[in-house]
Amino acid sequence: MQLTTRRPPHAIRRRSALHTAAKAFAVCVAILTGASEARASDPAVPDQTHTVRPERPDAKASPIEEPTLEDTTTKRAGFEFGAYQDTDNVKVITPSINVSVENVSGGSLSASYLVDVVSAASIDIVSSASTRAGWGEVRHAGAVSGQYKPHDFGVSVGGSVSSEPDYVSYGGYAMIVKEFDDKNWTLTLGYGYSHDTAGRCGIGGACTPFDVFSRPLERGAFNGGLAWVVNRDTLASVTFDLIIENGDQSKPYRYIAMFSPTVAPTVKPGASIDFVNANRLPEKPLEALPVTRDRLAVTGGIAHRFDGSTLRVDERIYDDSWGLKASSTDVKWLIDLGEHFLVWPHVRFHVQTQTDFWQLAYVSQPAPAFTLPRYRTGDRELGPLWTIDGGFGFRWRLAHEPDAPAWRIGLTADVMYTSFLDDLYLSNRTAYLGALQLETEW
Amino acid sequence: MRIVVLATGLFTLLAGAGCAHVAPYERGKLAEPTMTADDLDGPAAAHALATHEGATGGGSLSESGCGCN
Repeated sequence: MQLTTRRPPHAIRRRSALHTAAKAFAVCVAILTGASEARASDPAVPDQTHTVRPERPDAKASPIEEPTLEDTTTKRAGFEFGAYQDTDNVKVITPSINVSVENVSGGSLSASYLVDVVSAASIDIVSSASTRAGWGEVRHAGAVSGQYKPHDFGVSVGGSVSSEPDYVSYGGYAMIVKEFDDKNWTLTLGYGYSHDTAGRCGIGGACTPFDVFSRPLERGAFNGGLAWVVNRDTLASVTFDLIIENGDQSKPYRYIAMFSPTVAPTVKPGASIDFVNANRLPEKPLEALPVTRDRLAVTGGIAHRFDGSTLRVDERIYDDSWGLKASSTDVKWLIDLGEHFLVWPHVRFHVQTQTDFWQLAYVSQPAPAFTLPRYRTGDRELGPLWTIDGGFGFRWRLAHEPDAPAWRIGLTADVMYTSFLDDLYLSNRTAYLGALQLETEW
Repeated sequence: MRIVVLATGLFTLLAGAGCAHVAPYERGKLAEPTMTADDLDGPAAAHALATHEGATGGGSLSESGCGCN
């Protein structure tokens, strides 16, 4: 529908003169300030001082301007490239991507995908599979999650999948969040479940089908947390994790050296492959672990804001039904360097006891007696150890126009030293970990 | 197990002892992203920690396991 009625001839002449003048003005403005401002001086904009409105060129196409809906979502996308190498000849590169979108109404969706490319010729592989000079594997992992928290109550759900040639895992979780006392207290409760299937692959990557050989592992994780405002500068939190695992977690590749009762006491921590092979019994059975494991962890955290920096300290106390007890202390000091830079030195210390069934040298009677211990392992993470991890992180928030995407570049670098206190073959390990991150938000 | 319960109780008592109600307009420092940012370490660092330590917990529920330990 046309908004104007028929115009008299003098009005048309006046419109033509106005049009010409406005056009000349628009050209000048365009030269001085750019095309965008020139558009604002377009003669098509009605002259409010005149009773006869000029006809808009696009009046027939859209006589009434449609109201545009404002986009209230914030979208993010990130990429990380991580690289790991240690003195036990293990190398891992981990490229990953993540995307998320969140709305001002409290809804958000996120997804991530990563690839682990592992190559290893560690002492464990060399000592138990001499025909394989090295080993390589690729793992794919993806996760999606959604959250809706319009006010002081929210729910979040998610799922994840991880796949490698001899191991598949999928899981899901649900969590609720409730804030109390004007958001001075926040309670979270959640439950997660995952189902893993472990298989076996041979030399050259040929794998036994899962329906021929597989070991299932089910894991249920109850999680509860409480975070509270201590004062104007300090937040505190405590989190409980109860994880119940059912299934055979022993590795089908891990063979355990056995010793006679007279030789076992002579085996020292860090004994070489040559020493072990010269003194062990001929039999070398596979690893055997208990088929249930209950794990409990309590993590406390404090975050304190100073002028220009934030100190964060987390302490995790851990205990499980296999007898492993551990303490992990993590300290980060995040320092603002101006408006765009953030740097954080980081230190983490972890110490743990051995599991009840851990032994440096397992004892067996020679054949034909074969009195193998019921449980036996060579998994170093089940033995006594301590690890100290030191490093730093750096983040650069690039300057941007108000309506343009924001970009962020991050870099982290860590050195991790582990002392194995009662292990064959290896007494310590130094690992180097670096990651480069690129993120954008619009 | 007893040590876990004791540590929890002690931490909660210590941290909660000086708690005061803080109004929303007094939370300028608490709103600083570094106070709660949980994205400082990416998946590569999380994976490295998971394979270096026999303990678990204190992290996300959303991760699936791997046979990499």
